[in-house]
Amino acid sequence: MNKKIVILSMMVFLLFLTVGCGDDNKPIDNNLTNNQKQEDAINNEKLEKDNENSQKSDEFIAQIMFNGSSTLAPVIASISTNFIEEFVTWDKVDSSFPNKDIAVYVSAGGSGQGVKSVIDKTSDFGMTARSIKDSEKEKMPNLQEFVIGIDALTLSVNPDNPILNIKDNLTTDEIIKIFSGEYAKWSDVDSTLPSTEIIVVTRDIGGGAHEVFQSKIMGDVQVKSDAIQAPSMGALVTKVIENENAIGYASFGIVNQNIGKITPLKVNGVDPTKENIVSGEYIIQRPLIAIINDELTKQQKYFVDYLMSDDGLAVVESMGFIPYK
Amino acid sequence: MNSKLKNEKLIINRNKIKENLFKSIVYAFSVVSSCIIVLVFVYILIESKLFFETVSIKEIFFETVWAPMADNPKYSMVPMILGTLYISFLSVIISVPIGIGCALFLSFSMKKKYSQIILSFIDILAGVPSVIFGFLGLVILVKFLEKNLNLATGESVLAGGILLAIMLLPYIVTGCYESFEKSKTKYFHASYSLGVSRWYTIRKIIIPSCIKSIFVDSMLAFSRGVGETMAVMMVIGNSPILPKLLKRAQTIPSLIALEMGTAEYKSVHYSSLYAAGFILITIVMTIQIIANKINHNNKNKVS
Repeated sequence: MNKKIVILSMMVFLLFLTVGCGDDNKPIDNNLTNNQKQEDAINNEKLEKDNENSQKSDEFIAQIMFNGSSTLAPVIASISTNFIEEFVTWDKVDSSFPNKDIAVYVSAGGSGQGVKSVIDKTSDFGMTARSIKDSEKEKMPNLQEFVIGIDALTLSVNPDNPILNIKDNLTTDEIIKIFSGEYAKWSDVDSTLPSTEIIVVTRDIGGGAHEVFQSKIMGDVQVKSDAIQAPSMGALVTKVIENENAIGYASFGIVNQNIGKITPLKVNGVDPTKENIVSGEYIIQRPLIAIINDELTKQQKYFVDYLMSDDGLAVVESMGFIPYK
Repeated sequence: MNSKLKNEKLIINRNKIKENLFKSIVYAFSVVSSCIIVLVFVYILIESKLFFETVSIKEIFFETVWAPMADNPKYSMVPMILGTLYISFLSVIISVPIGIGCALFLSFSMKKKYSQIILSFIDILAGVPSVIFGFLGLVILVKFLEKNLNLATGESVLAGGILLAIMLLPYIVTGCYESFEKSKTKYFHASYSLGVSRWYTIRKIIIPSCIKSIFVDSMLAFSRGVGETMAVMMVIGNSPILPKLLKRAQTIPSLIALEMGTAEYKSVHYSSLYAAGFILITIVMTIQIIANKINHNNKNKVS
């Protein structure tokens, strides 16, 4: 009898295992509605239907799905929370819509996954924190891009850093030499500076912020391996605030929140100001884009309009990015 | 008479069923919980398969460059493995003497009433979330090292080791305290009645009799230290280079925590992080098994 029970429980467990495997690709849903479980069920059904025949479903779709960049995800999630709190159900958005709860699902998995999810149709919108590559554009014939904001990185140092007495500008070449370790001490940058070690602070090398820095500044040169990898942008800025030998790329928004504690430098003579970033003169920046490979449905259009409205852009700005308009 | 017997039989039968039911439920739970560890192991192995297929063992264990995002990616785990072992070893080296001293004091120089109170405080230390330790380490310890050792930056193996030592202390103190108490009831009064002084007894009898369990305790503390993520990640700088005492380093858990969020799904990089997890589990399990073995032998000898 005992053996039977053992086998039975093993089988139950295996069942769990297979269920677990099936869920692998499922995005982590951002809980935005009250009756999320119900929505989830609807969502799954819809997904199945969509997969079976995407043209056939004339039914009203109450949910919008986003997938992609972890930089953009909190912005979209925050705007969609506002959207849902303002309208609650679709019929309040437009009286021709049925009385269904609005649901916006936002999941983060990186820009690459955002593009992939749009190509694979596992998500309505993709979010990317970089421009779309040509090879990707080929796979999405009906591509529409909505630039929501710009994320810029500033090369920042501690206000007590002696380099500020000499200059407030670094050229691309100098930045590469500092970050690659060719300039190990501040005295290598300029002989009048003290010979203390340059503490280079980066974000994790695989992350989006570093990707921008790598492509816009470093090119093929790798950042030196004894650089400090900060687990978050906050930690990076804290390090620069606390250590006068440190230099790191802080995001534009955080620098503005810490004026006086951290000093951004010019890059190639261009000040990291809003105007220069929007005009494209300041180079260390990346666009935050929502993409879709289809005509917008009416519901989606309303949501995109809301994203681009002043309310939406205010959220973009409050999260430290530059609204694009 | 007959019906009474029948009744009794029924009751016995019912009890038996109940007992069996209970037994099987307990059985199922134990199977489930032991299945979990197997499943975790299997899942990690499956996920890291891609990595072990594409990257040669030589590169993983005999080179020293970790650069997964380079054009010519390098996946050597050596810096992380050494960093993990170095920091855990350092922390055990720091915390064991302090822990033994603390446990000796609590066990031999203090009234039981008070030592219980202090022990409960030490237990609370074990419950403090590691991110809080990490934050204190970042704000106080790293800065302290920066100023006093004249370092360019305080993030170092030493900072990680000290911080981890503080976190491991409660485990060592409580472990040592228990074995001292056991040894005390066994030898202390006999030794006392022979007129041997207290500290001589402690030095020559109590500590030698506990040395094995102290060793096991420190090994278990070591394996806990190996897996510590958050606190260590905040104070060691996370640079994938070969660890030196006053230089930055990276541990396996901090590598996984740092890069898992951004590694491209199902890529070699992604798989390599699972592989790192696999190596970590292997290290921890080996230590646990050895500790268990020693502990087991020890117990057999005593009884």
